[in-house]
Amino acid sequence: MPITLETNGQVCPFPLVEAKQAIAGLDDGDHLTINFDCTQATDAIPRWAAQNGYPVTHFDRLGDASWTITVQKA
Amino acid sequence: MVLTGLVVGAALGFALQRGRFCVTGAFRDVWIGRQTRWMTAFLIVIAVQSVGLFALQSLGVIELATGELALAATVVGGFIFGFAIVLAGGCATGTFYRSGEGLIGSWFALLFYAGFSAMMKYGVFAELTAAARAQTVPVTTIHDSLGISPWWLVGALVVGVGALAARHLAAEPRLRIATLPPRRTGLAHLLLEKPWHAFATAVLIGLIAIVAWPLSAASGRNAGLGVTTPSANLVSFLVTGDVALVDWGVFLVLGILVGAFIAAKASGEFRLRVPDATTVVRSVSGGALMGVGASLAGGCTIGNAMVNTAQFSYQGWLSFAFMVLGTGVATHLFILRHRSSAAAGSTPAPVLAGV
Repeated sequence: MPITLETNGQVCPFPLVEAKQAIAGLDDGDHLTINFDCTQATDAIPRWAAQNGYPVTHFDRLGDASWTITVQKA
Repeated sequence: MVLTGLVVGAALGFALQRGRFCVTGAFRDVWIGRQTRWMTAFLIVIAVQSVGLFALQSLGVIELATGELALAATVVGGFIFGFAIVLAGGCATGTFYRSGEGLIGSWFALLFYAGFSAMMKYGVFAELTAAARAQTVPVTTIHDSLGISPWWLVGALVVGVGALAARHLAAEPRLRIATLPPRRTGLAHLLLEKPWHAFATAVLIGLIAIVAWPLSAASGRNAGLGVTTPSANLVSFLVTGDVALVDWGVFLVLGILVGAFIAAKASGEFRLRVPDATTVVRSVSGGALMGVGASLAGGCTIGNAMVNTAQFSYQGWLSFAFMVLGTGVATHLFILRHRSSAAAGSTPAPVLAGV
C-alpha cells in the first residue's frame, strides 16, 4: 500500500528520521512518499535511498521550498 | 574597507545555502550511523584554510595571533555550544543562512543567540565570561608546544584529510543518487539548481575563509571568519547606538543573511516557514545556550572549530572535540529518541495517510 509521510514544517534531520521509521513498517515493493520543506533533505533523502538500494520513483518540487520524493522499499 | 565584509559574507551565505553546508549536520551524522561525509567536508575547510593562512603569514600579509588557552571555559563552552546547536537546528552560520531561507524558527534561534552573546560579552554576564576566560594555562598553539614549524602540522592535516576524502570519493561512483528534474541551463543551472558536491563546497568555503583574513585585517580587525563576537557587536550597536562596534565582522554576518536570501530566492527555495510550538521552544533555548557556550569557549563552530583549528591553536581543537561531544549527547536525547506519531501509534496516525 502506498504511504504518504507529511513532514512539512519539520527541520532536518527529522524528515529523514521519520522516513526511516516509516519505511521500516513497509513490505518490500511498497512505495513511500515523503513531502518535506527542509532544504538539506534534498541532499540527505536521495542519498539515503541510494545507500539503501531503494529506487526513487519520483522526485520533484511542489512549489517554493517544498518537495516530494517517492522511494520504493526493496 | 568594512564593506568588503558584506561581500565576503554574501559569498559565504550563498555557498552555505546552495551547498547545504550544515556544520550541525556534519557533527550530528557522526553519531547517527557513523556517517562522516559532511565531517570530512568540514575537515577539508580546515585543511584548505590552514594552507592559505600559513602561506599568507609566511608572505608577511597577515599576522596570526593566539592567546593562552582558557582551558575550563573552552571545554565547558564547547560542550554547551555543541549541545545547543542540535536544539536550535543549526550552528551560528547555519542559523544565519536558514534565517535567510525564511525559516522563522531560525529567526528565534538567531535573536536569542545574538542576544545572549551580547549579554555574555558586554552585558549582565560579562564579568562571569571574563572571569572564566581569565583561568588560563600557558599554552597557545600545538606547533609552539612541539617547537616545530607549523608547516609540519599543515602537511599532516592535508595528507590525513586528503586520504579521508579519497576514501569517500572512491565509494561514490557506486551510488546512483536521484536528482530533481532540471528547469534551467548553463550557469543558472550550475549556480542555482545543480546539487553542489559537499567537498567542492568545502574547498570554496575554505577559500572564502582565507580571503576573509587579509580583508578583515585591512579594516583593522585582525581575524578571519567569525560569527559570535560580530553578532554580539551588532546587538550592542543596535541597543546602544555605539558606532565603534560596527566592524568588518558585523558586515560579514549581515552579508551571510543577504547571500543566503539571494541564493534561496533565486533558486526557488525561499519561503516563510512557521515552526510548531516545540520547535520554537527548542530554537529559543538552543539559541540562548549557543550564545552562552560560544562566548565561554571563545568562538562557535566557525571561529573556533573552523578558523582556530586551522591555526592549530589548542582552543580551536579542544572546543571542536567538545562541540562534537555535546552534539552527540543532544543527538541521543532529541533525535535518536524522536518518534513520529506515525511510528509510535498502533493505529494509523493522521500524518500517515493511505493514498
